[in-house]
Amino acid sequence: MTPDSGIAVGTRPTVQAPAPELAGWAGAATAVHAIQQMPMPMTLRLHVADHGVAHIDFAYNAFEWEHPLDAFPVTPASVLVETCTAEPDAPAFELPGRTLDPLLWSIGFHAFGDEPAPWLVEGHRYHLRRWPSLSGIEIDLDQVRMIAMLGNAFATADELAAAAHTPPSDARRLVNALSVAGMLRRSTAAPALDAAPASAHSVAPSTGLFARLRERWGH
Amino acid sequence: MEHIILFAGPMGAGKTTAIQSLSDIPVISTEAANTDRATADKATTTVALDYGEIHVSDEERIRMYGIPGQRRFDFMWRILRDRAEGMVLLIHNDGPDPVDAMREFMIEFADLCERGGVAVGITRMDVAPGPILTHYTDVLERDRPDLMVPVMPVDPRDRGNMEMLMMCLIANIEMRAAYSAVPA
Repeated sequence: MTPDSGIAVGTRPTVQAPAPELAGWAGAATAVHAIQQMPMPMTLRLHVADHGVAHIDFAYNAFEWEHPLDAFPVTPASVLVETCTAEPDAPAFELPGRTLDPLLWSIGFHAFGDEPAPWLVEGHRYHLRRWPSLSGIEIDLDQVRMIAMLGNAFATADELAAAAHTPPSDARRLVNALSVAGMLRRSTAAPALDAAPASAHSVAPSTGLFARLRERWGH
Repeated sequence: MEHIILFAGPMGAGKTTAIQSLSDIPVISTEAANTDRATADKATTTVALDYGEIHVSDEERIRMYGIPGQRRFDFMWRILRDRAEGMVLLIHNDGPDPVDAMREFMIEFADLCERGGVAVGITRMDVAPGPILTHYTDVLERDRPDLMVPVMPVDPRDRGNMEMLMMCLIANIEMRAAYSAVPA
């Protein structure tokens, strides 16, 4: 399958399988998620309509793309996906490249709209594995607070939204973004996130140093 | 009300510049000739400390202390870390053994990291080949799985970068305090 033949999620040479029915960034997000489950290192080329090719090398947590992320195309006409097996000790492009987190975040945030990514299971609670690198990401401080919550407790997207006083769709997009970036671990047994923890005063969005500094800096 | 945040890291990591980017007052810097040009090729280095302030309101300030990058001033670390609520750790990616340098500071300030919080800014990532971000985060995950440490590339000259790192640090400190009793 070639890049101009439709969305191709698979390895080269040609994979004779029906192309997934996923449009825009959804196909790319699904491919990224699939690659993260694979034991062998992979690279990915994303042919973004009118925006060139983004080349991802997961082994080096890096990507190369001429397009700036601060003008990330939210709804491209098409994103064609090519996957390749990475050569050992041979980066796919000249390193250091660009740090991958912001690209995966952007893909995950926009891939599924306000709906959860299809691999996320309702009722499962998620916890941050590590903080994403936020440099270069269009991110607001409500999202920073939710990331910090997930860094310190397990939560479903709905519990996260309730604790952070944000719309559920915002929390779902954030969980999608973190999941595509490979930064979440899940639990089926963790207790529910307490929307009013012991130090609820510091968690409320309008109180605490975070809120005051946010106001001071005008974010 | 006042809060104390330390800015730590090896000599040449950008601590003085980072405080200058954030401070609402002219930064008080105590610099002197650098006699250790082999470690960092800069003419001056922080001997005692740097000091800057963020005025959150008329009654509330964040006092930022940049502490010496040279181990011979270790005594300053001990005095300040007992009073601090958190730490911004800056590591320059083109320095000698930067991942190891991060580990050293995390060990040195383990009590502060546990009591308050730490955020790591990797500087000079774009100037020369060096460790990639996951080299740092993998070490943190392995050494301190109990801590959730924000790690991100930053340019200490960029106020926006430094504001984001500071907000991540404070969010993490507040959420950790709020949810620390919840089993993870």
